[in-house]
Parts: sequence; C-alpha cells; structure tokens
Amino acid sequence: MKKSLYWFAIALLAVALVLVAGCTGTGDDNGKDTVDGTAAPAINSLSFGYQPSTHQIAYMVASDKGMWKEDLAQFGITEITDHKFPTGAPEMQAMMAGEIDVAYVGAAPVISALANGLDARIVAGVQVQGSDLVIRPDIKYESPADLKGLIIATFPEGTIQDTLLRNWLSENGLDPEKDVDIRPMGPGDATVAIAEGAVDAVFLPHPAPSVIANEGKGVTIVQSGSMEENHACCVLLVSGNLIRNHPDVVDQIVKTHIKATEYAMENQDEAAEIFQKMNKIDIDVVKKSFSEWDGKWIEDPNMITDSVVNYTDIQASLGYIKKPLAKDEIFDLSFYEKAVETA
Amino acid sequence: MIKRDKEKLIRYLLPVVTAIIFLILWQLTAVYIVGDSHRLPSVVEVFDSFLYSIFGEKGSLLLDLEISLYHFIIGMSAAIIVGIPVGIAMGWFKRIDQAINPIVEILRPIPPLAWIPFAIIWFGLTHLSAGFIIFVGALFPVLVNTYSGFKNVPKVFVEAGKVLGCSSSLSQIRYIAFPSAIPSITTGIRISMGVGWMCLVGAEIFGAGTGRNGLGKNLWTYYNLYNIPMVVVYMLVLGLIGLAIDMAFRYYVDRLTLKWQEEEVR
Repeated sequence: MKKSLYWFAIALLAVALVLVAGCTGTGDDNGKDTVDGTAAPAINSLSFGYQPSTHQIAYMVASDKGMWKEDLAQFGITEITDHKFPTGAPEMQAMMAGEIDVAYVGAAPVISALANGLDARIVAGVQVQGSDLVIRPDIKYESPADLKGLIIATFPEGTIQDTLLRNWLSENGLDPEKDVDIRPMGPGDATVAIAEGAVDAVFLPHPAPSVIANEGKGVTIVQSGSMEENHACCVLLVSGNLIRNHPDVVDQIVKTHIKATEYAMENQDEAAEIFQKMNKIDIDVVKKSFSEWDGKWIEDPNMITDSVVNYTDIQASLGYIKKPLAKDEIFDLSFYEKAVETA
Repeated sequence: MIKRDKEKLIRYLLPVVTAIIFLILWQLTAVYIVGDSHRLPSVVEVFDSFLYSIFGEKGSLLLDLEISLYHFIIGMSAAIIVGIPVGIAMGWFKRIDQAINPIVEILRPIPPLAWIPFAIIWFGLTHLSAGFIIFVGALFPVLVNTYSGFKNVPKVFVEAGKVLGCSSSLSQIRYIAFPSAIPSITTGIRISMGVGWMCLVGAEIFGAGTGRNGLGKNLWTYYNLYNIPMVVVYMLVLGLIGLAIDMAFRYYVDRLTLKWQEEEVR
C-alpha cells in the first residue's frame, strides 16, 4: 500500500510538472520580453488574426498582394502566417495565448480582453460603422418600438454588435433584457435562423446583411451609423511585446496597413475579388455589400478613440468588465502619428 | 475485523487525500509558477467565481443547470426511444439490417455540431433544437450497442427458447434476445449519456432554448468575456454533473437490470 501511494505521489508530481511546463513554456525565443534592457531577440515570423468580414479588407488585400511579406522582409521577417476567426472572442483568446502578434478585430472584444489583462494596444483604425439591423420582410417596421417582443440574433456578448445593439435599444426606450429576445450566435447561424424564420431580425456586420437581402430573406431597417455616427468597429491591435521590443516592425505594420487600406478604397472591384477568393462569398454579393453598407475603411485611430472609450463605459454598465478603461490603456497613437509624419 | 475497517477507511480516504493534494498542487502552480489567471486560474479564484455564479447579482448557475438538464433529457430520451427499437430491428432482422446499415454508417461519423444548421431549420431556436444536437451525439452508441447485443445473442438461447415455445419473432425478442442483450444495451446507454452530455456546449452555443441559459451557453458567454475562472467553474460543474449522472445510472439501472450478472462478474 505504502509503495503504491509513493508511486501515486510521483505520478501526480510528474503530471503537475508537465502542466507547469506546458503553461510556462515560451515555445521559441521570438518575442521574448527583455527585462534587463538588453536588445530583444530578432524575430523572423509574424502571425496575424482576422475575420471573414469586408470590414477587414485591408488585411486581405495586403496579404493577397504580398505587401506584408515584402514590407516586413527588411526586419528579417521571412514568414507571415494568419488565422481566420469567426468572431473576436477566440481571436483575442489566441492573442492572450501568444498565438498571434497582430489582430484585425472589433474594438469591443479588445476592450474585454484588455480589461482582463491582454498585453496589447490599438495602433490604427480599420473601419467604422458597417453593420445592419435586418428584419424579416413580412414584419412591419416603422420605429424601434416595433421591435418589442421580437427575437434578434447578433454576435455574442462583449462584441461590437452586441454592445451597440443593447445601447441603441436602451436609448430608444426598450429594455434589451426584457423587451426583446437577443440571441447570441455567429453570422452563419444567424443567417440560417432569419432565413428559416427562427429569428425575426439580425444585427450583423457586412457582408452578412447583403447575403440575407440577396436571398430575399430580410430587409435592412437601421444601419449602425445611424445608431452611433462613426462608431468604432474594427481596429488594428498589436501585442505589447512587439510594441516594446520591435517598434520598428510596428511602424511598418501601420504603414503597410495604411497602404493596403488606400489600395482597397481605390480598387474596390479588385478588393471584392480578393475577398471572394479568401472567403468563398459570391462576388456580386460582395460588390453589392460595398455599395450598400454605411461602413468606411479608415486608418486614423484618433477617429475612434472617443467611441471606443464610450464602449468601455457601456460594457462596464452591462457588467461585462469591472470598470471602464482609459484611452491610454487601449491606444498607442504614436505609431500612426509617426507613419503620417514620415509619409 | 480491524483489517476490514482499515481497508474501508483507506478506500474512502484515498480519493479525498488525492483531491486535496491535487487542489494544493493546482493552487501552488497557479499562484507561484504560472501567475496568470487566464492561463491557469487558481483554486481560490475558481471558488470565488463559483460562489458568484450562485449568489452573485448576475450569477445563474442553478438556472443554467436546470435548462441544461432539460436539454439533456430531451436528447437522451429521443436517443433511447429511437436507438433501441432501430438497434433491435437491425440486430434481429437480416433484411432490415441490410437496408438500414449503410445509412447508419454514413450518418454515424458526422459530428453533432455539423447538424446545427438543420437543428435551426427543423426546430428553430427552441429547447428541441438543443435536444436534437444531444440526440445526434447520443443516438449511435445506443443503436450500435443494441444492434451488437442482438447480433450476439447465443444461438443456444434461441434454440432453447424455441423448444420452450417461443415460436414468433416477437416472443423470441421479448423473452430471449432482449434479456440477453441488456448488458450491451445498458453499456450503450451509459456511453451515449457521456457523449450526449459532452454535446451540451455545442447544443447551446447557437442561441437554442432560451438563448440566455444553459451550462454550455454560459460557459461560452464567459469565454467570450474572457472570464476564465468562471469558464473553469462551468467546466467543473459539467464534469461533476456528468459523473453524478453516470453514477446514478450505474447504481439504479445496473442494479435493476444486471443483478443476474453479479455472480458471473464477481
């Protein structure tokens, strides 16, 4: 008995050691913090996160045109990898785990993540507005009061869409907890749900509203820009490690992002083709989405600072985060300023 | 007598000691080695979150548990109601086996999550929709085990039954094959309960049921909000309830249906 207990204790310790090794391992030296002031180890790869939304077309254009690889090669970066995420939450979880260095992501998941200890900062804007409240064609809508009693599908708690919708409903005299039934789900599930009549309305980022309208399953009744003008949506988020130890790389990331955004704006048909290639959505629907949405691709983070700080107040009042965050806890505007100055 | 008492004491004490050692190691590792509650929340943080999940202003653990058990009962009941008769029919009647087997074998490897679009299309965002995903996960272990239980009925049992007057298929199934296949069927139900319970998170993340409550639903909510200690609370509750369901099943069903086997097993 004693012998078996002894072996059991050893086995437990071994398991604990393996767990500890797994939890604390750095994987490689890339991106290791330097606490003693010595130069940070060189990096040769960067990992990006993005979502299959037209909001983040800048990433896709830069990727397809080889801009990331070409522009970052001068810093010894030879490998660019990316991961596509359905929503911001898993993307931020991946960033917390150190799996991605740079994220194209909605500002709201960034807030939740930063409030829970993510070491990163927003260095540029990506896009404002661009989500639609779409209702089934057979439901009469004249004012927000008509939404009372309806089931509305949107992205999960803590996302831009969830935060914005709840705030807009409150501002229009509806209690988002009692007067409507908000169902959190991904874009695919929500699209199927409205098409089948399982929900009455959806509030989703583009191109999903155009996909639904194209099928004749819904009509846009409110665009997010009219809920809050120039509200923040997607942002460019960079890890604290890159900001502290490789500011030159971050400078270039911002510059490339600006270049890709401008390219997408000037070449929208080509951008639509790139989006279609990377996301398997019908090219006509993508082009229709570009013409119908109220979104704008942006670069300047100064445009969205107030909006994002406002989100932190809303999220704190919804109980999603413990307290609102200050501007400096969310943004590092210096990289954009530098990029503009040197342009 | 003393030796037996000592053995009994060790039997009960050992798991408790193991659990305490595990919790201490977990706490020490989380606080002193990992030092990041998002990578590994400490026992104290998880316990705090557990208290909040029950007594906190927005805590909803008990309601979540109630809703999830409802989804589970829907899915499991449907799996048993469909799985056992189909398994019997396939295991006993050769032609039915030949006809249905290819369909079962095609459907069986499809992951329950892949059925989410059809859950929404067929059942909307109702409790049935969540139950359907659990049903898909739970169906095949019941069906396949019932099928193999009936396939493996010893021929001598069947012959003996015929001699004793079980001439029709129905009476042979009722008095010979079914009792013989019960160990296999109960094993199938037990496996399917485990699989069905594991499907709970997938069954509740697409807005089914109330769209607000359920262990799986709110595990996902806390994940979306990066509240990892609460995620661990929900994971542990899922694990503990899964264990309790299995223990209850073994205690009651095994005793009721497999009592005759006791002498054979021990």
